[in-house]
Amino acid sequence: MSSASEAKHPAQEFNQITETVADVIERPKPPKAWYVAFGIALAMLGLLAVSVYHLLTTGVGVWGNNNAIAWAWPITNFVFWVGIGHAGTLISAILFLMRQSWRTSINRSAEAMTIFAVMCAGLFPILHTGRPWMAYWMIPHPNEMLMWPQFRSPLMWDVFAVTTYATVSMLFWYLGMVPDLATVRDRAKSKVRQIVYGILALGWNGSARQWHRYERGYLLLAALATPLVLSVHSVVSFDFAVSKIPGWHTTIFPPYFVAGAIFSGFAMVLTLMVPARWLFGLKDIIKESHIDVMCKITLATGLMVGFSYGAEIFIAWYSGNLFEQYAFLNRAVGPMAWGFWIMVTCNVLLPNLFWFKKFRTNPFLIVGVCLFVNVGMWFERFVIIMTSLSRPWIPAAWADFTPTFWDAATLIGSFGLFFTLFLLFIRFAPMVAMAEYKATLPAAHAGHQKG
Amino acid sequence: MSSGTRQLHPDENIKLGKLGPHVFRIALTTGVLFLILTLVMGLLAGDDMTRFFFSYLVGFSFFLTLALGALFFSTIQHLVRATWSVVVRRLTEAMMGTLPLMFGLSLVIIIPMLLGHTGLYAWSDLAYAEDNYFVSQKLGYLNVPFFALRIIIYFAVWIAIAHYFLTRSVQQDQTGDTSIAARMRAVSAPAVIAFAITTNWAAYDIWMSLEPEWFSSIFGVYIFAGAMVALFAALILVCMGLQKRGRLTRTITTEHYHDLGKFLFAFVFFWGYIAFSQYMLIWYANIPEETIWYQMRIEGPWMYVTLALLFLHFAFPFTCLLSRHTKRRRSTLAFFCAWLLVMHWIDLYWIILPTYDDGTIPFHLMDITATLGIGGLFVAVAAHLLGRVDLVPTKDPGLGESLEFENY
Repeated sequence: MSSASEAKHPAQEFNQITETVADVIERPKPPKAWYVAFGIALAMLGLLAVSVYHLLTTGVGVWGNNNAIAWAWPITNFVFWVGIGHAGTLISAILFLMRQSWRTSINRSAEAMTIFAVMCAGLFPILHTGRPWMAYWMIPHPNEMLMWPQFRSPLMWDVFAVTTYATVSMLFWYLGMVPDLATVRDRAKSKVRQIVYGILALGWNGSARQWHRYERGYLLLAALATPLVLSVHSVVSFDFAVSKIPGWHTTIFPPYFVAGAIFSGFAMVLTLMVPARWLFGLKDIIKESHIDVMCKITLATGLMVGFSYGAEIFIAWYSGNLFEQYAFLNRAVGPMAWGFWIMVTCNVLLPNLFWFKKFRTNPFLIVGVCLFVNVGMWFERFVIIMTSLSRPWIPAAWADFTPTFWDAATLIGSFGLFFTLFLLFIRFAPMVAMAEYKATLPAAHAGHQKG
Repeated sequence: MSSGTRQLHPDENIKLGKLGPHVFRIALTTGVLFLILTLVMGLLAGDDMTRFFFSYLVGFSFFLTLALGALFFSTIQHLVRATWSVVVRRLTEAMMGTLPLMFGLSLVIIIPMLLGHTGLYAWSDLAYAEDNYFVSQKLGYLNVPFFALRIIIYFAVWIAIAHYFLTRSVQQDQTGDTSIAARMRAVSAPAVIAFAITTNWAAYDIWMSLEPEWFSSIFGVYIFAGAMVALFAALILVCMGLQKRGRLTRTITTEHYHDLGKFLFAFVFFWGYIAFSQYMLIWYANIPEETIWYQMRIEGPWMYVTLALLFLHFAFPFTCLLSRHTKRRRSTLAFFCAWLLVMHWIDLYWIILPTYDDGTIPFHLMDITATLGIGGLFVAVAAHLLGRVDLVPTKDPGLGESLEFENY
């Protein structure tokens, strides 16, 4: 807090937070930039609708997938989006258990981002099945044909891991939002707002008993969500690592994928929150020090990813297995080496700029580095899938890949879905956890001042 | 949010005092006697000392992982600006201060290898290595001079980090200069990176290469996870031991034990996660070069050890440590710490010994005596270091907050 606000009475400080945060959803019109962004996002969402329509009416042949490279872009996009969806739970659950109070300024929006990213992720494997109207077969249910999912397939584990993750993230997000929705309800002037936020607030009245139960429930959900941070991307990594495909089968994959997911998730949170705090006047709430810490976490997880690349390449050599060695050599100098070097530059080299304070404080530089990280993490999945599938054991089975217009359109369209949902979220839901944020202020602990 | 103004209680005993030399003498005597005993048994075994080296490696590994866990804990506290842990940090600093000793003890393994002893690491036997296709591919990496050089480099890095953080921390006690804390924070970031790289490759070299055909890229993380379990278990027991002898009685509270217990729990879980990931991926892919390692551990009596790790290193402590009562009550927490130290030893035994003889569990009294011998020296050095300094970093800027710390 600036020195001016320190002089205020604690109640004024609390009130100011409510005013600042609630103003974003109560002001009659959002800033012009919001309309521009929303227009672009809607256009991209439209592109997604056209792509999906074209795909469903024509078939998966509209994509560049071929017999050798069956996973191609859709699974690349899936893994990319699931990864983006990891910062939310890490911030909400693990940082909560670690008593990192700074998380309260960004946890709400990060959780929202998580949910939207998981939605985008879910889209791709469902479309990739080729017959999305049969997707419900993946859910075990009694049926006349006695069809049962193949539980030995890691692709099935994904279904359970991702749906569990989506459910718990949604519960966590919503539970945390209840007191704030009640605040918005109590401040609402129009009948419609009173009714809508009234229903969403579940009759919250802020009694001590409600708070007690709320906090116990929140702590329990945090503890339950913590293993999910590890499990989801570990299971996604199993999709690759249980197989024998050279370049996919290495035991470090689970923790390496988790680190990469958190890395890309934080980069996305920064990409969105750095402009948002400026656009909606939240600079006093999402402070520079919070952004600074997030840059450091991005750097730390980026280093873990670089470390994993090193361990993976070393073990490929050390294994003495020619195919493993070839897979990594092919990544670095083969026909798709450009992808590998984009990945290395964006994920291993560029995050090191965050060692410098200037890069952690200048909003343009932060967003710049984070955009590169997002590109790099997409390319990581691209490299893993493409290089290994296009050059497996027998040269007769080798194939090249050319993406089609519809590959690109679906990916761009998924960003449209993500941004549309996110922009609606910041317009209609309290984007900072007001109640939690206030609880971390010194004034909330006045009674403890003397220890 | 606490304001961090609380001071150490004026009557608090923060010196090891007479206890230092007392523990030092007992531990040193025990250590030397048991090592001599082990050496005699090794010579009597009549197998060119091979069995001795396996036993020795188990004991060495146990205390090396403990020291490395302490090194990581002591450095990462600065990196993440943790304040809750300040009251216990000096104890881990003393534990990592044993790394020069561990280097000396590593020479017992390296020098015979340089002199041509090939019993411990199969790849050091050229006749065997050149006969095995996969091993012959790795001889550029797995050869005795390069191995010895790498071990020296790892220890040089570890000792440099340990020395830096121990001396600076003690220096801050004397001068009260808070800029030292800022300096340690700045150094902690590259230190943790250097730690991660050296520990990972040390794990590949010291333990993974025992079975030279076998490889697993997660193996360094597995060793790290076990080391952290051992560190938290040992740290909690050391705190309790000191408090029983009237040291730090008002400084380390149930709140600190609760948090240490949470970390113990978290690393039990993390160990289970890493162990499962490694096993499941190798089992599922079923590639001979990889399954060979688990094959030796699920055949014959080793299967019981493997299952014991699953249930007793993971499931049982995991379930019991979930409850906050287990973590806040001294007796139950102490029980699980002792339990997990034993399990960590069994884990290392399970990593090392199947290489010696696949088929049976080749238990030998030397396994125990070597561990006790090396442990004696480890405790002696740590007690000696602690005897010369305060048991808490008295001038650490985070001490006040650590003293006031409460779980909510």
